This record gives sequence, structure tokens and C-alpha cells, in this order.
Amino acid sequence: MTQDALAAACSGQILVPALADAEIAAGYASDMLSDVMANAPDAAALITIQNHVNTIAVCTLANIRVVVVCHGRPIPEDMRKAAAAEGVGIISTDLSQFEASCAIGKALEGGACA
Amino acid sequence: MRFDLHIHSCLSPCASLEMAPSAIARAARERGLGGIAIADHNSARNAQAFATCCAREGVAALFGLEVCTAEEVHALTIFDTVEQAMAMTAWVYDALVKRVNQPEVFGDQPVVDADDNIEELEWRMLGFATRRTVYELGAQAHALGGLVVASHVDRPSFSAFSQLGVLSGDEGFDAMELSRTADESRWRERTGAMPLVRSSDSHLLADLGLVWTEADLAAFTVAELRRVFREGATTLSPPLTRF
Repeated sequence: MTQDALAAACSGQILVPALADAEIAAGYASDMLSDVMANAPDAAALITIQNHVNTIAVCTLANIRVVVVCHGRPIPEDMRKAAAAEGVGIISTDLSQFEASCAIGKALEGGACA
Repeated sequence: MRFDLHIHSCLSPCASLEMAPSAIARAARERGLGGIAIADHNSARNAQAFATCCAREGVAALFGLEVCTAEEVHALTIFDTVEQAMAMTAWVYDALVKRVNQPEVFGDQPVVDADDNIEELEWRMLGFATRRTVYELGAQAHALGGLVVASHVDRPSFSAFSQLGVLSGDEGFDAMELSRTADESRWRERTGAMPLVRSSDSHLLADLGLVWTEADLAAFTVAELRRVFREGATTLSPPLTRF
């Protein structure tokens, strides 16, 4: 799915656009960056509350296309800048990680929660 | 004495290349710090250069590393000697999730000498977690004769509180650190009887000397720090209004 579809799925707002042709093929929900680095599938959307610049560094290492930051957590300026520089999208949603995961899962699978 | 236990050198990912030990030691002397500790992420490989530079500048030095535990808690382990810090480094390296550094993301991670010459670029990615728990970290650091200080407990990530929620009290912390902007009185409600320090967590030279901890130390040593921690005799500089 595209970033636009992802944002719609999780009632989110695109704060930093991903690369124009970014296709999101999976989701991964985790708040531990070491776990994300070890286990995130390719071309995933990361669903997390980790709203800091280190998250973007992990995204570039793990080929994560978009970060969905949950609970309306604010995005600091250095995180926005790093995301823009790396072509990693940031979506902000008020949903919890669970709610966002279910919504994105349904959208990815076209019906069933992954 | 005014001291700062948490300063990153150029070795740390995301630290500026201007953070050569020579520059740190000189800035510390110029800005009135009597004692400083080097605390790079998961490594003390610049500790020897730091020791030489501090001796040149007449600034007292301790040697440490900021370890990232398996729970992604950051904690400072601080030692009297470079040898102890390097023994801790060996233990951490053994536990580090082995990834090769990507300099375009994290910087070059240079190991330098006291004259700013680059000896080597650290190949291990230093910025992420080890496979050791907080409890294992505390036990090892104490066994080597060091102190354990929970880093920036006021931060929403990588702090003992953010990662562990409720603390059992036997994590092995000798003290807890507040970051530059933390309101001390508010955080003392949360930290209770735990001794507190305030540190700069400097990654840039401009960060150094803006905040500090003050105590009546007979010498800048682990034993003396342990004593003032036990006596609750540290004074924290005021918080900054902006990070």
C-alpha cells in the first residue's frame, strides 16, 4: 500500500512524506529498537511510540519505509529532519499501537487482521 | 568540586568529531569543571587518550562507558582506571549485537590518541543494545570496582523508568542521573532516596559546562563518589530551559 493509504487506514496524518514510490508491504509493531533491527520485515511500516531521531536511524538500517508514531506523540525537529533526509515517512496517529496495528493489518490483508 | 560524569567523545555514534579528548579536557578546564568522565556508547577505547589529555590540562578524570542493556536502559559504568574501563569494554563487546558500523548514518566512530590522530575506526556498531540485562550490568561493573549510574532517568526513552516502568530497587544503581532540563524537585519525588547527579551528556563541545554536579570530594575517585552518594551530599546545577 502507499503511504496515503497507510495514513488513511490508521486515521493518521502524514508529517513527513516517504519516498514518492514507497510501497509498504508489511507492518511491525515494537518499541524496542534492538528488536526492530533484528526482526522487522522488509519494506515495513513501523508502528511505535519511539518518537526520537534514533528511530529514523533504525529505519534506514532495517529498510522501514514509514514510521507510524502512536498516541499523538510529538515529533521532535531533529527526528523530522532526519526522516526527510533519509526519505523515511512519518505518520502521526492518535491511535494506540494495538489499534493502529489492527487497522493497518486489516488494510494490508484486505479484511482480516494479520 | 564541579564534575560531569557523562561526556561522549568522537568515538560515540552521533557525537561530533570535534569531541576529541584533547578538546574535551581543555574545554572542561576553561569552563570550571574539576572532574570529568568519558562515557562513550558501549566502549571506552578513547579512555587512554582522555587520561593523557586530562593530565595535561590538570583536570581530574574518571573512565567509563554508557552501556545499553538488553532492556534498552542506558547506564553509565564509571571506573578509577583505564584498565578497569577496558575490562568492562571487553565484557560489553562480547555481549554486543554484532553489526558493522555504517558511518554515513552513525559517524566514523574514531579511536584517537592524545594528539587527535586517528588510530582506528571502531568497526562495531556501538549505538544499540547489548544482550545483558540491567542486573547483569550492575553485577559486572561492581565486580570490576566501578559505579553504576542510571543515565538521564527523566528522558522518555532509554531511561530506567521508561524501559522498566517500576523499579525493584535491586537493579544495582549507585545513583541516577538527571539530564540538562530536568526539574530536580519534581524528579526527586520519583527517585526517592536514590542519590542524584546532573550531567551534560555532551555530544558537542558547546554542551560541556552548561550543567554539572557539585560535591565536597577529597579526590575525584569512585570511592569518594560512593561516599557522597551514600551521604546524599550532591548538589545539582539548575536545569536549562532548553535542551
